[in-house]
Amino acid sequence: MSVVELPLTVFVVDDEPPARNRLKELLSDCSDQLPLTVVGEAGNGREALAKLSEASADLVLIDIRMPQMDGIELAQHLNKLPKPPLIIFTTAYDSYALKAFELHAIDYLLKPIRLRRLFEAITHVRSTIPLRTEELQELTPEPRKNLSIHERGKIHLIPIEEVLYLRAELKYITVRTAQRDFLIEESLTALEKEFASRFIRIHRNCLVAKDEIEGFEKVADDEDGESHWTVKLRGLDEMLPISRRQQSIVKEFG
Amino acid sequence: MPKTQSINQNLQNDTLPNFRNMGVILRIVLSVNVAVVLAALAESGSWQDIAQHMIDVSGLLQPVLLSNLLLLFAVDPLLARLDYWKGAAAVLMLSAGVTQAIYHLGGELYAPRIESSLYYEWRNIALSASVAALLLAYFRLRARSLSPALQASRLQALHARIRPHFLFNSINAVLGIVRADPKRAETALEDMSDLFRMAMAHSGEMVPARHEVALAQQYLALEQLRLGDRLKVNWHLEALPEDALLPPLILQPLLENAVYHGIEPLTGGGLIDVRMYRSGNEIHLEMYNPRQEQGSHHVGNKMALTNIRERLALQFDIEASYTVESGNDFYRIHIMLPYVREEPQ
Repeated sequence: MSVVELPLTVFVVDDEPPARNRLKELLSDCSDQLPLTVVGEAGNGREALAKLSEASADLVLIDIRMPQMDGIELAQHLNKLPKPPLIIFTTAYDSYALKAFELHAIDYLLKPIRLRRLFEAITHVRSTIPLRTEELQELTPEPRKNLSIHERGKIHLIPIEEVLYLRAELKYITVRTAQRDFLIEESLTALEKEFASRFIRIHRNCLVAKDEIEGFEKVADDEDGESHWTVKLRGLDEMLPISRRQQSIVKEFG
Repeated sequence: MPKTQSINQNLQNDTLPNFRNMGVILRIVLSVNVAVVLAALAESGSWQDIAQHMIDVSGLLQPVLLSNLLLLFAVDPLLARLDYWKGAAAVLMLSAGVTQAIYHLGGELYAPRIESSLYYEWRNIALSASVAALLLAYFRLRARSLSPALQASRLQALHARIRPHFLFNSINAVLGIVRADPKRAETALEDMSDLFRMAMAHSGEMVPARHEVALAQQYLALEQLRLGDRLKVNWHLEALPEDALLPPLILQPLLENAVYHGIEPLTGGGLIDVRMYRSGNEIHLEMYNPRQEQGSHHVGNKMALTNIRERLALQFDIEASYTVESGNDFYRIHIMLPYVREEPQ
């Protein structure tokens, strides 16, 4: 039985309208030889994320430098989708990302984009392995501006400045904001490294936002009668224990 | 033997200081008076002595200094026409001559010294010529230390035009409209070549402000092509005189910075406000642009701005000023420079 391949669905993300226009023109040039349809476009990461959680695409072409949410962060969030799309980055120039692309052998398109180059990239894309989130993080020196979870078919963004603490429990991490908590599947060590400017480790399994520390309190342990320090965060009633190894924090922030 | 000239000499064009510049005048007055204080210190045995010595010296020196400054101010345009060494010789002769003239005209005032007048005459001539020579050497060194900024501005302007981000994105944008709107694509390519031409050709001489504005507007048209409605610019040029001159490539690099760091990172874009006006003998240039609130850790391209500041310092000394106000969500630059008029053709 021969399978008739469905046309490849492509989504275009770029903040510059003429650049999107150019890509669509080139894609339509490709469609003579390669079945594909452009299913949508967006001018920034947020818009793209909203549109792509409604209607899926096989391939997303993403510009790296965009306002609000850059292309690399967008790709990281798209990876949370149940069926993550394939991604090809486009850029005019970004020395940091280009170095990283070479390092990880990730395919990318340099603007101005040539028809033949685009054609090659699209024909090969089906055979490439999707990018891993950790790999994506290495493409940029900047931390993400949001954490994301996939919830009821939608990508939910949690702005990093709203996160009060991150706590590892079993294979998940609890992300706590003033309103509620979320579960994400990432590594606490990687998060600590990425967001070093916002969070500080108070315990083997817990990072808290430095700016949200309201005070410290010493509480007595029930079992052995010894006491330990806890930290109180703004807007939360919970007291989070500080491990013995991290007690210098009390002096530093107290 | 053929006369050879090193590349360095070719680039380095010594010029006399502008004796009508407030900064130059102040530097002269200050250094001469510091020298007086030092001389008085060297000769004195007590505090009272210092004051006495200073008064003695000043009696002749201050009128000489003042007349010299006035005379130099008057003949500055003539001096500027001479080549450097002839000009320098003229300045030395002028200061020695003025010293002589005042010493003799002073008559009674300097009477006690007239007894051994021949010695005093030669001493005064030697001193004033030496001081003038030292000051000229100082101004020459100062100009040399600042003038790499002029060379660099040319390279930087070229580099900024070929700044990969700008060049490739602009070409990509032109390609993006070439099928749908070929006329607009043509204009964009013409604007681009004008920008390149200006960057490659400029000589460092002052240019009419309206040319600078036109160049800046061509640059903005290119950015507008990419950014569309996100880039808005308000020009306030009503109070800018028609005949005002500006150093070349001041406006465009400032705008480029405002677009790259201010407008592009904002989803909704923003408004750049450019105000140029004359106030008395000064031309003011004010530029305001919004910038993203969080993550303002962006170091950015300070190179272009530093270069502009150095060029202003070299050309106008303290008669130009450059101030930056950097708020949480905005950036404001204020440049003040002397009002130089275009020579009527």
